[in-house]
Amino acid sequence: MLQFLIRRAFGAVLTLFLISAVTFFMFFAIPQDPALLACGKNCTPDALAVIHQNLGLDKPVPVQFWDFMVGVFAGRDFAVGHCDAPCFGVSFATQQNVWDTILDRFPLTLSLSIGGLIVFLIVGLGAGMIAAAKKGTATDKVFSSASLVLSSLQIYFLGPVVLGLFVYSTGWLDKPKWVPISESVSGWFMGLLIPWLVISVIFTANYTRMSRSTMIEQLQEEHVRAARAKGMSRSYVFFRYAWRGSLIPIVTILGMDLGALFGGAIVTEFTFGLPGIGRLAVQSVQDKDLPLTMGVMVFSAAFILLFNVIVDATYALIDPRVRLS
Amino acid sequence: MTTLTKTEETPAPNAADPFLSVRDLRVHFSTEDGVVKAVNGLSFDLERGKTLGIVGESGSGKSVTNLSILGLHNPQSTTVTGEILLDGQDLTDVSGKQLEALRGNKMAMIFQDALTALSPYYTVGRQISEPYMKHTGASKKEARARAIEMLGKVGIPDPKNRVDDYPHQFSGGMRQRAMIAMSLVCNPELLIADEPTTALDVTVQAQILDLLKDLQQEFGSAIILITHDLGVVANFVDDLLVMYAGRAVERGSVREVLKQPQHPYTWGLLSSMPRLSSDVGEQLQPIPGSPPSLLNPPSGCAFHPRCAYAELVDGGLCTHERPLLPDGRGAACHLPADRKQQVFIEKIQPRLG
Amino acid sequence: MSIFGTRKTRAVVVALAAGSLALTACGGNSDSGTKDKSKTQEDAAQQSQAVIFGDAAASTGPAPEVPGARSGGTATVYQDSDFSHLDPGQTYVSDGKLLDRLIQRGLTQYAEDDKGRLTLVGDLATDSGKTTDGGKSWTFTLKDGLKDQNGNAITSADVRHSIERLYAPFITDGPTYVQAWLSGAGTTYRKALPDGPYKGKHLPDSVLATPDAKTVVFKFKDAHPDLPQALAMPGYSLVPAKTDTKEKYDTAPVATGPYKIAEFKPGKSMTLVKNENWDPKTDSVRHQYVDGFNIQYNHDDDDQTKTILADRGEAKNAVMFTGQVSTNQVRNVVNDPEAMKRTIQGYAPYVWQLNFNLDRMKDKKVRDAITYALPSAQIYKLDGGAYGGETATGLISPTTPGYEKDYDPFGKLKKPNGDVEKAKALIKEAGAEGQKVVYAYGNTPVRQQQAVVIADRLKAIGLDVVKKEIDSATWYEQVGKVQNGLDLYMTGWGQDWPSASTVIPPLYDGTQIQDGSSVYSHINDPKVNSEIQRILKISDPAEAQKAWTALHHDIVERINPAAPIYFTKVFQIFGSNVGGIRYSTDSSYVDVTRIFLKK
Repeated sequence: MLQFLIRRAFGAVLTLFLISAVTFFMFFAIPQDPALLACGKNCTPDALAVIHQNLGLDKPVPVQFWDFMVGVFAGRDFAVGHCDAPCFGVSFATQQNVWDTILDRFPLTLSLSIGGLIVFLIVGLGAGMIAAAKKGTATDKVFSSASLVLSSLQIYFLGPVVLGLFVYSTGWLDKPKWVPISESVSGWFMGLLIPWLVISVIFTANYTRMSRSTMIEQLQEEHVRAARAKGMSRSYVFFRYAWRGSLIPIVTILGMDLGALFGGAIVTEFTFGLPGIGRLAVQSVQDKDLPLTMGVMVFSAAFILLFNVIVDATYALIDPRVRLS
Repeated sequence: MTTLTKTEETPAPNAADPFLSVRDLRVHFSTEDGVVKAVNGLSFDLERGKTLGIVGESGSGKSVTNLSILGLHNPQSTTVTGEILLDGQDLTDVSGKQLEALRGNKMAMIFQDALTALSPYYTVGRQISEPYMKHTGASKKEARARAIEMLGKVGIPDPKNRVDDYPHQFSGGMRQRAMIAMSLVCNPELLIADEPTTALDVTVQAQILDLLKDLQQEFGSAIILITHDLGVVANFVDDLLVMYAGRAVERGSVREVLKQPQHPYTWGLLSSMPRLSSDVGEQLQPIPGSPPSLLNPPSGCAFHPRCAYAELVDGGLCTHERPLLPDGRGAACHLPADRKQQVFIEKIQPRLG
Repeated sequence: MSIFGTRKTRAVVVALAAGSLALTACGGNSDSGTKDKSKTQEDAAQQSQAVIFGDAAASTGPAPEVPGARSGGTATVYQDSDFSHLDPGQTYVSDGKLLDRLIQRGLTQYAEDDKGRLTLVGDLATDSGKTTDGGKSWTFTLKDGLKDQNGNAITSADVRHSIERLYAPFITDGPTYVQAWLSGAGTTYRKALPDGPYKGKHLPDSVLATPDAKTVVFKFKDAHPDLPQALAMPGYSLVPAKTDTKEKYDTAPVATGPYKIAEFKPGKSMTLVKNENWDPKTDSVRHQYVDGFNIQYNHDDDDQTKTILADRGEAKNAVMFTGQVSTNQVRNVVNDPEAMKRTIQGYAPYVWQLNFNLDRMKDKKVRDAITYALPSAQIYKLDGGAYGGETATGLISPTTPGYEKDYDPFGKLKKPNGDVEKAKALIKEAGAEGQKVVYAYGNTPVRQQQAVVIADRLKAIGLDVVKKEIDSATWYEQVGKVQNGLDLYMTGWGQDWPSASTVIPPLYDGTQIQDGSSVYSHINDPKVNSEIQRILKISDPAEAQKAWTALHHDIVERINPAAPIYFTKVFQIFGSNVGGIRYSTDSSYVDVTRIFLKK
């Protein structure tokens, strides 16, 4: 296991380096000059040159990349002050330390993702298991068709509908907003309640369908039947034998969805006007804000890689065959 | 050696009745396309300490029969009628809980492929212990000791250490042994072995069969061996039941059926089997055609579309009247006894060598 | 204000990225059934009167009370995203201007009356500036009792510092008028003080003098009668020398206005509280009614409109800064009489015009034909309907002094949907049937829909149209190239202060043509060029305005470098508890200096 983790960590660092390099050099392949956004009204070539110098864009691209990498490991000095490692630089647009900006936005995106995750895992897997256990009955049909309908919805459709119904027309709930959990637990909870529900409705549907079908598949497995043949009770076999097996495909999809959940945070954050990593990502790209783009990319990639390692480790927890091979 | 104790309340079985008696068993599945008659009026008896072989092609109903004895069919889509008397108790008539108490305890099953039949997620020891704890109320520690004992008994070397291994860490033969250990952990009186050796190397097959035999002698269990391998059957079983399209078509002692087969289907089965004594280059004779649809079985004798001798029966009896299987030794076939004898001697026996 | 710049573009792109349907909705058409309650040109005419230069009396505080005003409470502000800059020297666009009005002060500012008439008054200065030589040198005297948020007295050295720091290389985004007038056009002024004031060097007294702690003198080579107005731009607000943190100032500026920044979370929120060191007696315009502003970002126009329309909870105290009633919510607002009471309307300073690339579109008859043909009404309906625009008749906005509502050389008011017959006849006369023209547009939903209408019309009058879509993020960069390879492209331009001097020179002075300049039509007419230079030196505003008007007529009628299409309008809504809301001619959005909460 330790060796596995070391191997994965090494791979992750390499991947992050490649992502950084590709992002960095691709950024310069875009035929748009970030300096234009800081160049006022009558932007002459002279004025641009000044900005290039300010932003460090006058140096050759490989040198800029080298400076960036040095900053990541050793920190760098900027006009607005020293930037400690890991230093992803200072935003072109806001002059803020990129790393601090990301850390500032991260709790929201994390809360959004994890909260949604908890809701849709509990509801989705639960509903799927009930449907599988009652396969062919009315309950199953209601659950299955409801999940089919719900899974075809999108956040940017469902979000405004929910807002319109529960916020703008009736005022039953407050508009979603970000309150750090350290400030007020109830404010944090109420502020994110609608986004959680909307995210989870959409993901729940998928997990209901998936959990139902993998459970049904697992219930037909020979070892499940063998366990029944041993005289183990239906519920024991259901939860110990079938459910454990059904977790593997669910964890696999979850691994991908966690990335999507993070990426999907873009849509969620825009739909509900929440300032998270997703919004930061879009903003940084629009502003041609290289340091911020790099920071967000590397951070998100690191997070997705971390999720991948967690998923792989979870496989090992679930399935001893993975653990030992 | 065993802590299993029989309660005295169980009514003493009538000595005259066989240990397992299946009477007119019908197992029908309802599907979207209609009713599949997987087993359609099957009867047989099995004594304690005896072994019954059931042979037939895939889909002939042999596995379904055994699953319905264990009560492992899907209750929602399956109707089971007839009687399954185990030690005088009708299994078609008991609650799910009661069946659960019997399964793995009084009756147990060995599956074809231990790789799929053992859960990959739990250790071999745990899977062996589980039914033991459930049926005997033993503690974890006792059950573990029992699991080690059983592993030793089925011939796993170093059982103390291997008990904590996962199934995938075992070789194929060891896995099969482990599964046998799992089935036998509560000393079942009825053991159903569904093609227990098909997935194994030939050398291992023999070891497993020997093991089963030894264990049968030790525990006095009744065994139903489901197989399509007549070679296995010959050395192992006492009686033989040949199934075709959900019905028994021939029955008798293993000697009788193998040496003097009476049903054209049995002839076909035997002819399609290679044997050591046959000449090199001699063609095997597969049964023409494919097994019939159980949704819509052929009229009359279900075997008639594939039967080479149907025209020997007068009046096309085979196509509209179903032949009955007599009690005891016999076959369900319209061919008159003399013609049968003649065909067997002229055409079949030479091939069987 | 700058051309529709990064903010607008960003909002559009963002909505696209979010998959929002909001912008594709075609709200303009929905208005046709309802009575048009939008602001008429008569109201706006006030906006276009020449600015009055106020005297010391008009510049003396405190500001006259707003009727019914009450102190206390915290107003909520919804904004789409961060203000682009907080450093005054970098501030140019509208959102920055609204914030600047609350937290910063410059030498001058505008006072407005109920009709929207502007008077330029002294802000930190005792009056709007004195010149004795027709605008070559200007003297400003600071008021007594001025302090920044830290309690430090504001002196003439601070004013000098505020100007000199604009020469430093890190200041790139703000206006350059005053620097250029003082030390040379283009970017040559930077050579006068390459490091700004930070290494102990200063501009010579022959350029910028501070004879005593209260007096500042600007000295130019040429007359620049617009200086007092230029100084009212947020870019020239005061930065106290002692607390200037250079690059870092953009995240934590020192306030001199009635409010100061208590907390700033980039990308999330900003909290303004009262600046106790701001003395109302020194300010003839601003008020300090509310205790503070709670500015929340990440609310797009649609979100803002819905929230404020619903008028629940904190939204009752909600204020839009640069937000507007979103196109697809216009109908909901207009049809709700109670909500309409909470709205303001007015002209935005932008004129959308279809530029002719004069290097390629050389036949004036063809240009005139296109000008006659374009269906202005259909085009602005796609950009917010009657509440988003209005048929443009000339190239001067209703917000710019010199605008004449009856000036309509192409008869656009009578035929807002275009005169196809006349256009066809002109095309025939020019022998231009089947002439190929390349029409370029940005890839936003509004521009794409407009492109369909425009291309159809050009086809209808006999031209062979080729549509060319351009990434809206680089739109102005691409059409700003001299060799852009395009024939027709729509651009919007707004004044920097209420004078045609910030409209005609940047758009029609052919001597400025180069990559990146705003002379999009590439007009280069010697007579126009020399007129521009002449009028810029006229010190009497009324006389200058007359001259600009004449030049405007000449450009439109003799050359026709760009077809006027529509003037843009502003439509904002506020919470029911917000008082004192009034459209500001100065900012072209709500007047933030007089906002109060009713209870």
